[in-house]
Amino acid sequence: MNGFEQTLIGGIAGGTAIVIPALGELTSELSGIVNLGTEGCMLVGALGAYAVTVATGSAEIGVAGGAVAGAVFGLLHAYLTIYRKADQLTSGLVIWFLALGITGVLGTGYVNDAITPLPIISIPGLSQVPWLGPILFRQNLLVYAGYILIALMIFVLRKSRIGLLLKATGERPEVVSVAGNHPNLIQVTAVTVGALFAGIGGAQLSVGYVGTWFDDMTSGYGFVAVAVVLFASWKPLRVMVGAYVFGIALSAESVLQTNGIAINQYLLDALPYLVTLIALVIVSRRGGRKAPEALSRALTDVT
Amino acid sequence: MTKTSVDLENSQGSHEVSPKAGSSSEIASKIKTVFRRHRFVYLSVGTYIASMVVFGLIVFVKGSNPFSVFFVIVQSTMFNGGSLEQIVLRTVPISLAALAVAVPARAGLVNVGGEGQLIMGAIGAAGVGLAVGSTIPGPLAWLLMAMAGAVAGAIWAGIPAVMRTVTGASEAVTTLLMNFVANDIMLYLIYQPWRDRFSSGQPQSQPLSQSAQLPSLFGSQLNIGVVVALALVIVTWYLLKRSHWGFALKVVGGNQEAARRAGLPISRLLISSMLVGGALAGLGGMLNFAGLEIQLVPGITATFGYIAFLASWLGRHDPYKVLIAASLFSAIALSSNGIQLNFGLNGSIVDILLALIVIAPLFLSKNRKALTK
Repeated sequence: MNGFEQTLIGGIAGGTAIVIPALGELTSELSGIVNLGTEGCMLVGALGAYAVTVATGSAEIGVAGGAVAGAVFGLLHAYLTIYRKADQLTSGLVIWFLALGITGVLGTGYVNDAITPLPIISIPGLSQVPWLGPILFRQNLLVYAGYILIALMIFVLRKSRIGLLLKATGERPEVVSVAGNHPNLIQVTAVTVGALFAGIGGAQLSVGYVGTWFDDMTSGYGFVAVAVVLFASWKPLRVMVGAYVFGIALSAESVLQTNGIAINQYLLDALPYLVTLIALVIVSRRGGRKAPEALSRALTDVT
Repeated sequence: MTKTSVDLENSQGSHEVSPKAGSSSEIASKIKTVFRRHRFVYLSVGTYIASMVVFGLIVFVKGSNPFSVFFVIVQSTMFNGGSLEQIVLRTVPISLAALAVAVPARAGLVNVGGEGQLIMGAIGAAGVGLAVGSTIPGPLAWLLMAMAGAVAGAIWAGIPAVMRTVTGASEAVTTLLMNFVANDIMLYLIYQPWRDRFSSGQPQSQPLSQSAQLPSLFGSQLNIGVVVALALVIVTWYLLKRSHWGFALKVVGGNQEAARRAGLPISRLLISSMLVGGALAGLGGMLNFAGLEIQLVPGITATFGYIAFLASWLGRHDPYKVLIAASLFSAIALSSNGIQLNFGLNGSIVDILLALIVIAPLFLSKNRKALTK
């Protein structure tokens, strides 16, 4: 296996930790609520998954624990922003701080605990496909969950009534209300489900791809997920591309390092963020901005 | 500390009672407003007490006595030799990074990049400080470092501002991402070109030469940076509240269409607000470096930039209130040492406290909006 394939394998696995939270953030943003707390939801998801895995011995149950932890924090964000009309960006940052504090305090005991991470599952047949097989189909459960989620999101947003309601809520909540639905309820659901995805993304880090817990282990991936959604102009396929590109940039960094290529590690660390920034600028320039209306209000209003 | 924040919240909106309450219906509505405002005070106090109870519960779950933790927070920050000075010293970068949020906020921009701008300010100052060493007199070195810090911070805030005005990329997200880039640049400098080869422990940059360090005030732990920071708060207040520029920013922030019709140069105003904000944060990074840290170390800003965002929000982007909020948060951040020493709890427990202090007014956002209607 050469370095390039290694990079891609790691990129898909690491990218999953961005793609699932980013799809969650997409759900939330389409309903008109931006959740900077995605970073915090990922963090509690990572620790929640790890703690449950330590307690039960099963990483699969751990993932469920991470999802629930993320959703609880998302629910808090939803409550503050939707029912208490709190500023979305401030609330998001506060959720992150809360998560930093809580995982810092509760996580100290888990730093030295060992777990068996999610196993690699080879899909019979598909994993035998030359070159692509091992990259795409010799991965853990959550990577496959990511694939399914992408397909599901595309379907829901394009074809289903749920998708229509979600987008309508983000554009014109009043219309949704007149049509006899409850925009608030839809938003709360969207934000909570989005945070649940973020929790699963965190789980992919702690009990999947990395397999350990350490303080502040998400190191900004949640913020990247938010950025990916923006530069994807709220389109799930583009979210997918963006997230995996970020994952590959991350993975390239560690592969380069292990192969002893003499580039400073920290300059490489900056690479994924730079890639995201540049992509954001290019896409914005091409006029790809069709933000849900409620969202553009939230993004520019700082009160 | 609870009380200060409540006061911060309530000084809002006192302007809306009309001075000439003529008819009885006006008097009735005035009474109603007063009543509502009182209710808001009770609600505020109640919410803060509730959030402290939540904090106490978390502490309790981790096996410590909440009352003794609160006692230690107050004791270690207020009545411990030198800790008040430490609070003031940390207020310097936090308050300046908070102004970096407040100035663009006036023009309707969201700067979440205080962290990166603080770091770049420190890097700029360190670059100049290490280059000149002790070859030039102190005051000249301070001036050059301050300029370098301000320019570095301004550049770091200016890039997202230009991105916003030219391409429309959301500055809330770009400033956030640039924090991580800034941190990686600093780590690179610490681990390679600027590394202190004589230190055996944690990697750090070479120390600033004695003559380039900011002089202390009257032999205390405080340095001249505190005075500079205070002056900058006043200047910023003047710029925002009294200058033509500050007024123009407010117009742009309030209604861009109106600003356009009034012929205001919107892009230039937006970019200038970010440049000024970035320069303030950069100066904060420089003062923190040259006055307190004197070496670049990993985590030099210790999430001060994000704390500053919350402080600016809590102070409603008003320089004086922002300064009070920044001092409060600085004290809380400092209390983490006392909690760690006395209870063995992880120091990040103060992040929970910070978050809860901001959640309380967030929770009341709806009531406040009803109040100012």
